[in-house]
Amino acid sequence: MRIVIAEDSVLLLDGLTRLLTAEGHTVTGYRTADELVADLGDPAADLPDVVVTDVRMPPTHTDEGLRAAVHLRGLHPRLPVLVLSQYVEQRYARELFAADARGLGYVLKDRVADVDDFLAALARVAAGGTALDPEVVAQVLARSRRTLSDVLSPREREVIALMAEGRSNAAIAERLVVGLPAVEKHVTSILTKLDLPPDADDHRRVLAVLRWLEDGPTNGARP
Amino acid sequence: MSTTIEAATAPPLPDEAPLADDVRVVAPMLTGGRALGLAPVSGATWAGAGQIVLAAAVSLAASVLLVTGVALGVGLVVLVVGVPLLVLTLVLARGYGAGERARLRAQLGVVVLPPAPGPGAPYHPRTWWPWLRDARSWAAVAHALLTCLLAWTAGSVAFSLAAFALVVPAAPFAGRVNALHLVLLVPGAVVALWLAALVVQLTNLAQVRLTRTLLGGRSRAEAERAARAAEQRADVAEDRAEHLRETRTAAVVAADEERRRIERDLHDGAQQRLVALGVELGVARRTAAQDPAAAVAAIDAAHGEVKEVLAELRDLVRGVHPAVLTDRGLDAALSALAARCPVPVDVDAQGVGDGVGPQAQAAAYFVVAEALTNLAKHATATRATVRAAVDGDRLRIEVADDGAGGAHTAPGGGLDGLRRRVEALDGTFHLVSPAGRGTVLTVEVPCAS
Repeated sequence: MRIVIAEDSVLLLDGLTRLLTAEGHTVTGYRTADELVADLGDPAADLPDVVVTDVRMPPTHTDEGLRAAVHLRGLHPRLPVLVLSQYVEQRYARELFAADARGLGYVLKDRVADVDDFLAALARVAAGGTALDPEVVAQVLARSRRTLSDVLSPREREVIALMAEGRSNAAIAERLVVGLPAVEKHVTSILTKLDLPPDADDHRRVLAVLRWLEDGPTNGARP
Repeated sequence: MSTTIEAATAPPLPDEAPLADDVRVVAPMLTGGRALGLAPVSGATWAGAGQIVLAAAVSLAASVLLVTGVALGVGLVVLVVGVPLLVLTLVLARGYGAGERARLRAQLGVVVLPPAPGPGAPYHPRTWWPWLRDARSWAAVAHALLTCLLAWTAGSVAFSLAAFALVVPAAPFAGRVNALHLVLLVPGAVVALWLAALVVQLTNLAQVRLTRTLLGGRSRAEAERAARAAEQRADVAEDRAEHLRETRTAAVVAADEERRRIERDLHDGAQQRLVALGVELGVARRTAAQDPAAAVAAIDAAHGEVKEVLAELRDLVRGVHPAVLTDRGLDAALSALAARCPVPVDVDAQGVGDGVGPQAQAAAYFVVAEALTNLAKHATATRATVRAAVDGDRLRIEVADDGAGGAHTAPGGGLDGLRRRVEALDGTFHLVSPAGRGTVLTVEVPCAS
């Protein structure tokens, strides 16, 4: 894959470049969000397979990376972007995922250290899937105006959290160390209980689940 | 939030009526017009006449009593009993004064504010001397005598004139009166009547002014002086409150900026290094089986990262609060700062620390730390001195170098933050840094902070 990274920390940029190069990818690194936008801001630009960007970068060290990501997605709706952040906030996630969750990721920078997980998330985003950090999912679950425990079994709650992160059924099965049919059974049960379309694919069901969690209790919930 | 200093607001001026007000109340005929035309039958004249009669009686009795008391007291001073007798007389004079003020209020509706109370109850010889020196009491004695003089003199004149004016209408019945007499006497009676009213009103005016002067409260000038002093105190208090508001806000801002700086340092430094470290270790684990050489290289890099993170955290922690300051005191902490400075620094802080509060010590430490950092960064200095000394209840710190000068406290800069920190402790901050002639930073903070 051709990967573009925007990251102001030289150390981390070096580490990621080495890691991804060793995996056989081609990596281009930028130190600021402006450079990233300058390079990919042209509608006719030669797009990489995936963009990885830090949120906080020069010159203001606030949310340049996030704004660059939103801007680039506006120009190239199909461009996969994985946003790395020192802190993950539900608010930022909602801004980023406002239009579409396809080919989008938003994960805590620390996850990079879990190399296998990081590479899996990167591959998922590059393939048009979704990667939402477990911390954001936890925030959504904690702030959810619906009490999941009334509706779902403990196992189903584990499964819905992994679904919200954007994982496929196979990935969920691997994570929970159960068979694929068992996961499929849980997913069907969850979608039925929450009254969500059963045929939704991975990235679409992320949004469906998140929307269900954020909506008020009277809206389509079945006890 | 606003701070109001209640105690410092100026007291209102005493309601001391100016002359024009007294004229309006007790001598309205002087203002002319209707009051002049109706002067003989006006309330002011009749109330004034009553006042003169009563004043004549009261002041005569008071004069006799007080003059006797004073004369006896003075005469008996050599026998010691004279002194308490004099004091008693003066106490009575004070009482007379209070009675007179009440009488004027009742008879004329004129309010005379009382003076400051006398020197206290005269039960103890200790208070006698203050009583003897009490000008207001002696003024009351003088008031009795002068009132006696005024009331009897003016009263006689006024009643003579009034009597003349009343007798003239009776003249035709006494016979032997011709037209010429009538032509002269009737206008004369009218003039006498108005003159009597004039004398009554003027006497009352004089009486009121006399009472205000001798039995009244403090004078307008005194009151104005007191009001000015109170205003000045209020201004000083207001300035102080303003200063406290500013420095308090500045202290909050400085603390906030400091927290933000620490967050930035942690974010840009330790956190990034730890993430990179995680990546290195992740790569090592991933490649350990297939490519042991690459794994070892990654572990080496990770090891280097760990050491740098530790060094960085150590610096950061020292910037938050230096342990040596708590453990070994200001002298040791300043010496440690000097030792880390690339420029040779002489430290003179012998024995400073006893009786100096932790906030003052910390402020001193960070002032010196920032000054030495700046010096190492910009000043091209070859030597520097750091002096700390306790001067009375102030801790005084001076950092001087022989560098290029031109240092200034840019808003938001390190020196500016320190200035606010020092000012929040009620300290002073002086930076003298002429271009080309070195830099001297002098800071004073109260030891107690």
